[in-house]
Amino acid sequence: MTSNGKVLLKLDNVTMKFGGVTALNEVNIEVKEGEILALIGPNGAGKTTVFNVITGVYRQTSGNVIFDGTSLGKQKRFQVTALGIARTFQNIRLWGDMTALENVITATDVHKKSGLVGALFGTPRARREETENRERAMEILRFIGIDEYSDRLARNLPYGVQRRLEIARALGTSPKLLLLDEPAAGFNPAEKVELAATIKKVRDAGYTVLLIEHDMSLIMGISDRVVVLDFGTKIADDIPSVVQNDPRVIEAYLGVPADAS
Amino acid sequence: MKIRNYWNIRDIGAGIWERANRPKRIAIAIGSIVLVGLLPFAGASFLATPIASYDAVLVYPVGMFVLMSLGLNIVVGKSGMLDLGYVAFFAIGAYTMALLGTNTGLNTWEIMPIGIAFAMIAGVLLGIPTLRLRGDYLAIVTLGFGEIVRLVVLNSKWSKGPNGIANIPMPPNIGPLKFKLEDQKVFFWVVVTMILLTIWMIRRLTVRRPGRAWEAIRQDEDAAELMGVPTLKYKIWSFTLGAAVGGAAGVLYASKNLYIAPEMFTLNVSILILSCVVFGGIGNIWGVVVGATILGYLPDRIRFISDARLLVFGIVLVVVMNFRPDGLLPRKKREKAIVKREANA
Repeated sequence: MTSNGKVLLKLDNVTMKFGGVTALNEVNIEVKEGEILALIGPNGAGKTTVFNVITGVYRQTSGNVIFDGTSLGKQKRFQVTALGIARTFQNIRLWGDMTALENVITATDVHKKSGLVGALFGTPRARREETENRERAMEILRFIGIDEYSDRLARNLPYGVQRRLEIARALGTSPKLLLLDEPAAGFNPAEKVELAATIKKVRDAGYTVLLIEHDMSLIMGISDRVVVLDFGTKIADDIPSVVQNDPRVIEAYLGVPADAS
Repeated sequence: MKIRNYWNIRDIGAGIWERANRPKRIAIAIGSIVLVGLLPFAGASFLATPIASYDAVLVYPVGMFVLMSLGLNIVVGKSGMLDLGYVAFFAIGAYTMALLGTNTGLNTWEIMPIGIAFAMIAGVLLGIPTLRLRGDYLAIVTLGFGEIVRLVVLNSKWSKGPNGIANIPMPPNIGPLKFKLEDQKVFFWVVVTMILLTIWMIRRLTVRRPGRAWEAIRQDEDAAELMGVPTLKYKIWSFTLGAAVGGAAGVLYASKNLYIAPEMFTLNVSILILSCVVFGGIGNIWGVVVGATILGYLPDRIRFISDARLLVFGIVLVVVMNFRPDGLLPRKKREKAIVKREANA
């Protein structure tokens, strides 16, 4: 446990409505620096909506999202990324016609200053930043363990590598908080073990991780805390062993036994 | 045994370039430029265009089409935004030249930056509100913009309405190179220079941050924005650079033609330039150059069959697009090439 207790991200009474549907109902979540927080819940519980609210894809109907002391209410999506939040996608959304390395380099651009004019005239800063980006991106690919694929087009990569490349690309933006949306979807048990090790490694390298996952053994194995959502409402928030035995969580996942009510 | 695809000109060309060292590359580049520069002297060969003057055809449509297609390719090919009103920027450049050329003492080269600036300003003004739209919606808005510009010059007093503006001055001579109506070699060389500058600009931008941003926007705009690409800014840049090239082409066109009228800037031009881009290979500089050259040149080469030439032109388009839906020289699907190239840079 590397968490020092400082709250990095705070969802404060966040409600998200789509017309008459309440996707999130006064949800409070705190992500502490240096922890792996898992967000679980049955299908349609609002997990991905939480990610979309945090990253600015949706604007919450009410409530506040505070990241590292800054309210995310008015920030544009790319500014949220620049502040230090990066995400992966449930269905892989890499840039297929770019190589793995280019995918990560594009993400590393977010903290660079040089723009169009620098690129056109090859100013020293633009050149230096290109080199820095390339080295940083290569470093990340090595860190995630997919550097051998660096010059392959993203869409020609094996499925598992694509999933890992999504993580690598998110790390390219040098985030403080990494949001992983079902990173183990479609993985076999061996791949899941490997992924769990990667996520731990990412956390140990100083990133905070907020993770959506369905695989319970993966969650219980790596997360420091688990938040459970059901129909847009938070029903549990504790360490894995406690959440696992919480009757409300069991009810949400398995339903109520017929003779219990 | 390795089976080679002899029809894949793109990869053969890329292969030659990839294997060449620096002096060899410079030799290839200079050699090709000289060859292109000598094109106007080949008027007596099989290249000759019946009826139309050969060196005039090389300037317009061929050279101008290549230039404009390269500009449109930044918008459509690089960043994936469908622009059906590209002719508007061409018109803005042309009218800037016509009005300033006839009313002030400025010459073509002095008006050139002004024309480019006006086109870019129009690009920004159009881009800021509309580039939030995507796909079909953007296409419709740009189409409307193209028509608005044409209708404004058609119905305004200052642009002399449908009569157009005549007596636009020719560019002043550059040293011993004289601009003449009956011999347009110098015009051709000027167009080639502008084309080379445009290619240089696109290549510079493509391998660095703006190129990556455009590429990311084209492939998945939401993912791009969530990975920190300021998408609106780069879309506006793309639009504005495309406009700049169109404006530059317009200035030169007006100065070469000596007369312009609104009927030269119809939707047809936008569509034709877009056809050049798609026909040659959307997103690929060399594809666009080849595509625009063929589509610019072909109708004049087969002018001897008179009305049937449009039929032949149409058949060529349909056949090629059937056999090569990605264009003659499609966008390069690079695997290893990029790493090597950038290591050399």
